[in-house]
Amino acid sequence: MTDIGAHGRAAVRLAAVSKVYGTRDNTVRALDAVSLTVPSGTFTAVMGPSGSGKTTLLQVAAGLDEPTSGDVFVAGVQLRGNETQLTEIRRDLVGFVFQQFNLLPALSVLQNVLLPLRLAGREVDTAGAKRILERVGLADRLDHRPAELSGGQQQRVAIARALVMSPTAIFADEPTGALDSRSAADVLALLQEAVRDFGQTVVMVTHDPIAAAHADSVLFLADGRIVGTLASPTAEAVAERMTHLADADGDPRLAMAGGE
Amino acid sequence: MLALAVRSLRARLGGFAASIVATFLGATILMAFASLLDTRGGGGLDSTSRNTLLIVAVVVGGWGLLIVAFGIAATLTLSARQRANEIALLKSVGATPEQVGRLIVGEAALVSVAAALAAIVPAMLTGRLLLELLQDTGQVGETVTYRFGAIALAMGLGITFLAAVIAAVVAARRAAAMRPAESLLAAAVDDAPLSKRRVVIAGVFLFAALNTAVTTITVFHGKGIDAMQTAGQGSICAAIGFALLAPLLVRRVTTRITTRIARAGASGYLAGLNVSQRSQQMANALMPIILFTGIALGTLYMQSIENGAPAGTSGETVAGAKNVETLNFVIVGMIAVFAAILLVNTLVAATVHRRQEFAQLRLTGSTPAQVRRMVTLESVVLLATGVLFGSLAAIFTVVPYNIARTDSVLPDSAAIYVGVVASAAILTLAAGAGATRRALRSPAVEAVTV
Repeated sequence: MTDIGAHGRAAVRLAAVSKVYGTRDNTVRALDAVSLTVPSGTFTAVMGPSGSGKTTLLQVAAGLDEPTSGDVFVAGVQLRGNETQLTEIRRDLVGFVFQQFNLLPALSVLQNVLLPLRLAGREVDTAGAKRILERVGLADRLDHRPAELSGGQQQRVAIARALVMSPTAIFADEPTGALDSRSAADVLALLQEAVRDFGQTVVMVTHDPIAAAHADSVLFLADGRIVGTLASPTAEAVAERMTHLADADGDPRLAMAGGE
Repeated sequence: MLALAVRSLRARLGGFAASIVATFLGATILMAFASLLDTRGGGGLDSTSRNTLLIVAVVVGGWGLLIVAFGIAATLTLSARQRANEIALLKSVGATPEQVGRLIVGEAALVSVAAALAAIVPAMLTGRLLLELLQDTGQVGETVTYRFGAIALAMGLGITFLAAVIAAVVAARRAAAMRPAESLLAAAVDDAPLSKRRVVIAGVFLFAALNTAVTTITVFHGKGIDAMQTAGQGSICAAIGFALLAPLLVRRVTTRITTRIARAGASGYLAGLNVSQRSQQMANALMPIILFTGIALGTLYMQSIENGAPAGTSGETVAGAKNVETLNFVIVGMIAVFAAILLVNTLVAATVHRRQEFAQLRLTGSTPAQVRRMVTLESVVLLATGVLFGSLAAIFTVVPYNIARTDSVLPDSAAIYVGVVASAAILTLAAGAGATRRALRSPAVEAVTV
């Protein structure tokens, strides 16, 4: 694999990635030889029924979990090594947005956003961080603690924190899962903006067709495999496709996909 | 609510491990010494034996009881504080403050009774060992038989139960009075000012320490080893007083030390933030360091001064001095070991509780090494603060006793000081590092959701 750089075509590439959980007699194949390429500067949603492996896909692609077999590349850099090496790769190349925000409670909004820079030993660009926080609509909340903010505001801080490192890809795991619909719309609009205005690459796992409709394309996952894609999605089209996947769940051949 | 308390205990025994260990050891020490009073009441004892047994039991009544009760209360308060989330959840599903209070007090009562019952057999063995020690040194007649009876049980169970329940009532009142949203905020921010009552209680302990110091110098000056009766309590009371003020000490003193020595790098930055903004969390770790340093320094120095001092003028016999020497080494040993275990115990409980915080740091891009460095830096600045105030506490015993026995202010030897500080350093750093290593073992994405 050659290094195609942060502005190359493929931001994220998975080659025949499998992930198997459990003991010898009781194994669960969460990912089954998944290969995919996420082009740079795109917004991709990953959908699928519960237990289809979408969170595992995200965690493996982001270097939070190791694949049982296969290779993962972000910006052409293979994600492998011990936890320290993986952390160093992750913090340079990958940003995260989680359902539960995961902001550090003792740090202020601004300190939370600056933290990845400090940890990576980069220049602490306070002005840049303030610009990003202004962009996400929190310019007047810089010195607040996370516990003093609403869920939507906390998630916007988390997005600002992901953006501050200018990563190759931002991975979002159900970023709107804990939010009301209005805050969710704000957060999704921000992720869209990050792609359109900053040329970011965003991969988002969601179970919400409305959230998925904000993406440029949707990947459907069932039983640990990619079972379809949809470009320029609408909420209706996504919902319809999901219904079919759910139907397939009833099929005994695909029974595994439905399990929690 | 008691049924819920039982279920809650069963489900999360690990969360109570620190309280259980402290209560078990505390009850063992208390009952072992109290059983000497049972032995004394056995009948047919000569007056020397009766006298020795009374002194041994009562001296521990003054020293051991204080530190044991405080140790039990401190660990229980810590575990109640660490459950702010769970308590907020209970309230949000409709538990009244009284119900939450009954749950916390019920758990504490169950833990204390169970741990004290488990301590009976170890206490019997320890008590028997104490008696043998006293008999071997000729301070108690060879014919005296060991008894473990009502006094040991009443003191052991009663004091551990009372200490646990009082601590739980205080913790429960704090937890129950808050609104659920406040509880969550308090769990996150955790830098509330010290309550007035706590400052007052700390003041009482410090005043008592001063009082024993003055008494030692004035009343017991030149009276030989009798001065030990008051001197020993000085460092214990002062250490407890400073420990109660720990959140304040963290804010006023530790933060200053931190800006001097821990500024470098991201780990230093985080350590500094934690020290300045999570003063309660840091205070939980600071308290046992102060206690261990203060008590170990005070009692060990007292014994070493005694060993080097001329015989007193009050006419005590060589056997009497010998008596106190053996006794004192046993007590010093047991209390120092209890303080050391409390130190490790509390530090591990406080650190393991930070699993989620560590996971969040890792997801934000910190390497395991950066997290470990952060904890080490925190430990170093807490250690510096703890040793400083532990040493101050020890002065309440060491200086008065040295004046009373030798007319000079400070003892000559620095060996004990170096030894105690080195032990405190090793225990603090090892406990912090070990618990952090454990907390980092599970993958960050899993740990973060706990």
